Amino acid sequence: MNYKLFIKIIPIVFILLAAGFAGFWFFYDPTARFSESVPGMDNRPERSGGLLSTVKIGEFFQRFNGVAAQLRGSWPRFRGSNFDNFSNETANMNWAGGAPKILWSVELGEGHAAPAIHKGRVYVLDYDEANHADALRCFSLLTGEEIWRRWYNNPMKRNHGLSRTIPAVTDKYVITIGPQCHVMCVDADSGSFRWGIDLVQQYNAQVPLWYTGQCPLIDDSLAIIATGGDALMIAVSCKTGRVVWSTPNPGNWQMSHSSVIPVTFHNKKMYIYCSIGGIAGISAAGEDVGQIIWQSTAWSHNVIAPSPVFMEDGRIFVTAGYGAGAMLLQLREENNVWSAEVITKTLPKDGLSSEQQTPILYKGHLFCVLPKDAGPLRNQFVCCNPQDITKYVWTSDKTNRFGLGPFIFVDNKFFILSDEGELTVIEASIKGYKQLARAKVLEGPDAWGPIAVADSRMLLRDSKRMVCIEI
Amino acid sequence: MKEADEKPVHRRQFIKAGLHTTAALAIGGLAGMALSKSAPANLVWQIDPDKCIQCERCATNCVLNPSAVKCVHKYAMCGYCDLCGGYHRPGTKNLDTAAESQQCPTGAINRTFIEEPYFQYTIDEKLCIGCGKCVKGCGSFGNGSLFLQVRHDRCVNCNECAIAKSCPADAFVRVPANKPYLFRGGVAGAEPPNPLSGEAS
Repeated sequence: MNYKLFIKIIPIVFILLAAGFAGFWFFYDPTARFSESVPGMDNRPERSGGLLSTVKIGEFFQRFNGVAAQLRGSWPRFRGSNFDNFSNETANMNWAGGAPKILWSVELGEGHAAPAIHKGRVYVLDYDEANHADALRCFSLLTGEEIWRRWYNNPMKRNHGLSRTIPAVTDKYVITIGPQCHVMCVDADSGSFRWGIDLVQQYNAQVPLWYTGQCPLIDDSLAIIATGGDALMIAVSCKTGRVVWSTPNPGNWQMSHSSVIPVTFHNKKMYIYCSIGGIAGISAAGEDVGQIIWQSTAWSHNVIAPSPVFMEDGRIFVTAGYGAGAMLLQLREENNVWSAEVITKTLPKDGLSSEQQTPILYKGHLFCVLPKDAGPLRNQFVCCNPQDITKYVWTSDKTNRFGLGPFIFVDNKFFILSDEGELTVIEASIKGYKQLARAKVLEGPDAWGPIAVADSRMLLRDSKRMVCIEI
Repeated sequence: MKEADEKPVHRRQFIKAGLHTTAALAIGGLAGMALSKSAPANLVWQIDPDKCIQCERCATNCVLNPSAVKCVHKYAMCGYCDLCGGYHRPGTKNLDTAAESQQCPTGAINRTFIEEPYFQYTIDEKLCIGCGKCVKGCGSFGNGSLFLQVRHDRCVNCNECAIAKSCPADAFVRVPANKPYLFRGGVAGAEPPNPLSGEAS
């Protein structure tokens, strides 16, 4: 009897178990505890402007005891007179004890803003941390004594430094762009304020990550500024502050850290600019002045610091950090129709790229320091024939690594500054890496501001100090 | 005769000798305790962040699943950037928290807005598998505040660590158990970086 009952119960138990399993199978949700990663989980608010709603650009002025030096040399803007980072100065390198003579040094606010030099004066758009102010400081190139300071309150929080642009200088004017997109024009001699534009307020410009890096351009008495936002680029009369032309920005491209580079190709003068959104050529003269004559969205990254390098045959080398790598474009013109086609592109581990500094074009070759994500060649100074940007003519080898610091061509030599303020001088050659000298000139860290050279003097900076050395 | 040669021990001498012995034992005991405190009882495995190359073997070669290796964050070194090389995938268009914007394959890094222009990044150790993708990104584009460590609340301290055996950079080292964490620059700590103070303890 019990046996028969047992025989009957077994199938029932199995059926119940199967039903339970089937129920579990159908109704159990293994993803119930999953959560989606969607935008907005960081509680980021709408982007706001600076900490002050209205900045009175150029509000304050202070005069000091310094006197302009009677010197004639000029390094009037980012990458020098010809935008090539070449200096025609002589570098005798008579360095006693193997190190250059430090002529003077001054303390600066934390940042990477670098100087421009014009006729015995040094101009730096510093950040005055005590007064929470952008301060255009004018020094004597001879002594380093401050001559005057034009400044305005602009409270900010440090974000990998505070300042990071280079003024543009002519005989008459100095144009600056502050860390939070405040453009200022002052008289080059007296420091008298002429005009100012808040690009965030007036053009809905977005302050780039880690603040503005674009260095302004003065071209034929016009200040050329890439605004992003309501316009892609504007030209402002240095004399009056009137906006002479403004380039439409239908793609809503934004300001990058890259600077505007003027070039002439097929007798057409244009401004080339790498924005956050794409690269464009804007007519610089003629009936279509201020209009986009070609553009490409093939080169678009979140952070673009180096400026485009233009080659005589119309090739444009563009590069950026944060994994972006580089791209080579070919600019063409047929019957006044312009185009920019991608020739090749590469990732940092596979070819030439630069994170922060613009490569130098010398004897048809590109020279720069590779970024940290370039694999075994990381941080090496390299020479590359742009016919093939995935191959190197030579590299500085693993015993000679640099960083995000600047490099410049002077008197057939490259001067390369490391993050920690070590200055290395090598022979400018496409044959190989030949070191001529190496000396510590700054304490570091973050000696990233571009180098300026005039009147046999070289200006370099780290995060807190600028020095003038004799070359 | 024998009894005549032995000097009698006075009660005072006996007590004195007893006190000396007790004092000697106490001093010896204290010294022993001090020694036992200063000398490590044993050694444990740890990753030297200055040697680590983020090869991702820590994620797969540990006998535990998920690995006892986790990403840790030294906040004092962090730039609190909006664009974080450790959090964001290279080339990402949007600096947000979408899955496609993130470097971490398991979404183990939480990003929180602090104030303009700062964001804080915290590691969810339950989700972290120790692959080190974030560490590589932070080292390449940031300050290097993220790094991999063997978490000793999980590690079973095998005599022959499976990850150490396969580590191509010899980054696995034996360290004293009382200071089992290693920070950049060869600094050792008893605890991993403390998210509250931002400093290694």
